[in-house]
Amino acid sequence: MITEELVDLSRLQFAVTALYHFLFVPLTIGLAVMLVVMELTYVITNRPVYKDMVRFWGKLFGINFALGVTTGITMEFQFGTNWAYYSHYVGDIFGAPLAIEGLMAFFLESTFIGLFFFGWDRLNKWQHFMVTVLMALGSNLSALWILIANGWMQNPVGSEFSFITMRMEMTDFWAVVFNPVAQAKFVHTVSAGYVTASLFVLGISSYYLLKGRDLEFARRSFRVAAGFGFASVLSVIVLGDESGYTVGEAQQTKMAAIEAMWETEPAPASFTVFAIPNEAEMRNDYALHIPYVMGLIGTRSLTKELPGIKEIKAKNHERILSGIHAVTALEALRKNRDDAAALALFEQHKADLGFGLLLKKYTVDVSQATPAMIQQAVDDTIPDVTPLFWSFRIMVALGFAFLALFSLALFYSIKGNFIEKKWLLRWALWFIPLPWVAAELGWVVAEYGRQPWTIYGVLPTHLSVSNLSVGNVYASLAGFVIFYTVLLVIEVYLMQKYARLGPASLGTGRYFGETRHGETAAVKPAHA
Amino acid sequence: MWYFAWILGVTMAVLLASMAAMMCDARECAIEDNNKRGTSPNA
Amino acid sequence: MDYETLKLVWWLLVGALLVGFAIMDGHDMGVGTLLPFVAKTDLERRVLLNTVAPHWEGNQVWFVTAGGAIFAAWPLVYATAFSGFYWAMMAALWALFFRPVGFTYRSKVHNPTWRSAWDWGLFIGGAVPPVIFGVAFGNLLLGVPFSFNDYLMSTYTGSFWDLLNPFSLLVGVVSLAMITTQGANYLMMRTEGDIYRRVRNASALASVVTLAGFAAAGVWVATAIPGYLITSAIDANALPDPLAKTVVVQAGAWMANYERWPLTIAVPALAFAGLLASLLFSRMKQAGLAFWSSSVASAGIIGTAGVSLFPFIMPSSTDPRSSLTVYDAVSSHFTLGLMLAATVIFLPLIVVYTSWCYKVMWGKVTTEFVAANDKSVY
Ligand code: HDD
Ligand code: HEM
Ligand code: HEM
Repeated sequence: MITEELVDLSRLQFAVTALYHFLFVPLTIGLAVMLVVMELTYVITNRPVYKDMVRFWGKLFGINFALGVTTGITMEFQFGTNWAYYSHYVGDIFGAPLAIEGLMAFFLESTFIGLFFFGWDRLNKWQHFMVTVLMALGSNLSALWILIANGWMQNPVGSEFSFITMRMEMTDFWAVVFNPVAQAKFVHTVSAGYVTASLFVLGISSYYLLKGRDLEFARRSFRVAAGFGFASVLSVIVLGDESGYTVGEAQQTKMAAIEAMWETEPAPASFTVFAIPNEAEMRNDYALHIPYVMGLIGTRSLTKELPGIKEIKAKNHERILSGIHAVTALEALRKNRDDAAALALFEQHKADLGFGLLLKKYTVDVSQATPAMIQQAVDDTIPDVTPLFWSFRIMVALGFAFLALFSLALFYSIKGNFIEKKWLLRWALWFIPLPWVAAELGWVVAEYGRQPWTIYGVLPTHLSVSNLSVGNVYASLAGFVIFYTVLLVIEVYLMQKYARLGPASLGTGRYFGETRHGETAAVKPAHA
Repeated sequence: MWYFAWILGVTMAVLLASMAAMMCDARECAIEDNNKRGTSPNA
Repeated sequence: MDYETLKLVWWLLVGALLVGFAIMDGHDMGVGTLLPFVAKTDLERRVLLNTVAPHWEGNQVWFVTAGGAIFAAWPLVYATAFSGFYWAMMAALWALFFRPVGFTYRSKVHNPTWRSAWDWGLFIGGAVPPVIFGVAFGNLLLGVPFSFNDYLMSTYTGSFWDLLNPFSLLVGVVSLAMITTQGANYLMMRTEGDIYRRVRNASALASVVTLAGFAAAGVWVATAIPGYLITSAIDANALPDPLAKTVVVQAGAWMANYERWPLTIAVPALAFAGLLASLLFSRMKQAGLAFWSSSVASAGIIGTAGVSLFPFIMPSSTDPRSSLTVYDAVSSHFTLGLMLAATVIFLPLIVVYTSWCYKVMWGKVTTEFVAANDKSVY
């Protein structure tokens, strides 16, 4: 039996495991590219300090990567275990990018990561550099393919429903690959990864500088992070989500919800900086607006208008009414493929099939839906406004805070006196966790804002789940929480241990603390 | 064409960051390295 | 290529990916399984870990990709098997958790309790998944209790404990022993001295167990396990719809393919030959040949399950006509063609660069090497 409790639990389990996976993903994507930067500098200048940088930041990269892989396998399993009907219904399209991701990206990334760590003595420096480049390429390509899959869920292009196989089937692969939503998502998300990694390196380097240790190492790391981070944060803000907005209805609905925009606003729309959305009465209490800005962010123009929630609902009401015919006709066709009347009716309404399926939450026989049920289904098509409204604003605010930080960091790097700006170093150190906050909130906006759909306009979330007992999902969720908590504690322990140890952990004898209380002396007996 | 923008953007960001580091070798890091003990960074 | 051919090609390709998984990730899992038994001291265990250190992540992708390929090529199988075998899948997944963290974190802290805890974690990550996958294959041969409604939503009516029946447990043992043989043969190539002597004995033991278990399972299937048979006409080019056929349960049906196409006997024969050769070569201290032999045996064992079931992938015991087959559990013509193109492009590349990585890192791993590179190896 598929109950609301089962759906909510499955969603919760997916959200917990996905948000957890994404704690490790951005650092992998970003650090991989930064390792390329450091190693490029090493092969050009031949200074050992750059090699030490690659190896030290690579160590932290490895600690993070292990959990990225661990939690990634969970994600892949979960489509089958907990979203079985989803997997059947869209596997024809959705499975392909996932499989290509494995073939093209994971193999590359994971094969070369072995040589990255263990091949130093067996490869010459150019060969090793190429290995690092391929590894970084692999991790970025993996982001590409998974985000193509995810972008398709927001804007399902290049595909068609077949009533015989009872699923969506792919008709145009390139439309899926060049889906504008997927492109915007990709650039924004990988750039978010670069920002995360830059701030990570910037912050930890600042820690060394504040302690006055490992200066030659920390100075150079700081500069790499400042340069790379500045470019990345610009990309996150300026390029990132630019195109996705106006394309696709999912994005328009999301936009209206993010903005708590109940009425369609005449162009150019104003930006609501602060408001208390009042969902019951569909209006905002205490709103504070800046004119024009929303139109600019949302449509990149001063003349296009953005539909408001009330208008979107009215349109969805029509689509649900039309969808009822589609569902009834489909059910007749499933009984008898040759029913010509049903086929004609189905062809006429099939674009709204998904909207008809929304009613399945309230009744088995959709043709008997009451006006009250239809109204409920219409209300469902708008995600909750308040969490989206705030998640988005915090992410944007953090984006601008990072811009300020990286601008100053780059400015003082060019002037060459950042080491004296203690306030800047402290700022960088304390900001380390914040890119994760921004990225997680970004996913909340993207995914929660897509509700009540898994595939926008095609497949409602409540139909997507596996037909499991609630007890099973409670138990597996509890298992994930326990495993993941323990793993996180271990990971953070190792991370801070090695970050504090610093480049001395390489055992080259060149760095802070190695002679006094470095690991080398302390651990020798372990092997005796 | 955002994929294309990404390829260009990453290349530029990588070069910018690498140059930022090399500036260090040319300027204040060089001074500091020279002041320091015998381990020459050019070894 | 017509739809029918593509459907058959994908049956072969999924099989090839599973064999790739058994050979590549299999030997890493075998190393994990052997870890607590053939290596006594911390240094010896690190030798074992470092024989696979540069390679296990890449090898694990065989597993990830086999999963992705099943999703893309057989979405109904992916949906039905993963949700039906819910707890078995969770157990395999949670066991797999121990591997990435185990390998990477174990030697980063110098505390004997920490290290031995991770060693057992690596043992679990190595031994539990093969057992579960074996048990899953056993249950495929027995039939799985699921059925579809008009919307093709599946309902599974069994429980986790039902999966653990004697026949399936036997298949689980075969699977574990096969993977252990593979791991032991790999270790023979990469170690020396005491460790070498112990893994050589382990290899012999494991290949004998695999051989006996495989033979027993074969007799069991031939004599006591009814198979499934499609009784309606098969239109292999039709759009996939699992509910369009009729199926009966029939004694001896799992042997029917060997009678219809006698050449297919070669597949189980290859399994026996490979295992015997592995035993022989490991006694002769021909580690490389032993490894190739056990790889062939893995292909033979997995292939035997495939050929016996063909054209079934996942038969349904509660509603036989819901059974999933090579013809009706598959993706669209377009997607199968697309995925074939992707595989043809990328799989050879993967084989090339993986081989290069092994070549670069090849050689015996010794205790002296590990001690000298304390900070940079596992
Ligand atoms: C934007 C990037 C991104 C996103 C949205 C996701 N992943 Fe991920 N994934 C990566 C980026 C990534 C990565 C950077 O490639 C990882 C993270 C750390 C790592 O080790 O590789 C990875 C690892 C990783 C692995 C292990 C790969 C290996 O063994 O090498 C699997 C199976 C998945 N992921 C699957 C998924 C699924 C099914 C997702 C969707 C629900 C998902 N990932 C979201
Ligand atoms: C790692 C990055 C991701 C994060 C952090 C993330 C986050 C989330 C969150 C927070 C939810 C819960 C939404 C809710 O129920 O209110 C969710 C649901 C879901 N997401 Fe994502 N997601 C990620 C990637 C993906 C990708 C790449 C896909 C598909 C390829 C995907 C598919 C789904 C599905 C099927 C659900 C369940 C249905 C639903 O509740 O919407 N997610 N995700
Ligand atoms: C001014 C700055 C920013 C703006 C205007 C912005 C805008 C957005 C929007 C509208 C979405 C939702 C896209 C969708 O629903 O498909 C989103 C998602 C996301 N954001 Fe941001 N964002 C900003 C800064 C950041 C920062 C600083 C980070 C992290 C470091 C970040 C990480 C993410 C992530 C990971 C997602 C989810 C993936 C996606 O849907 O693209 N964002 N962002």
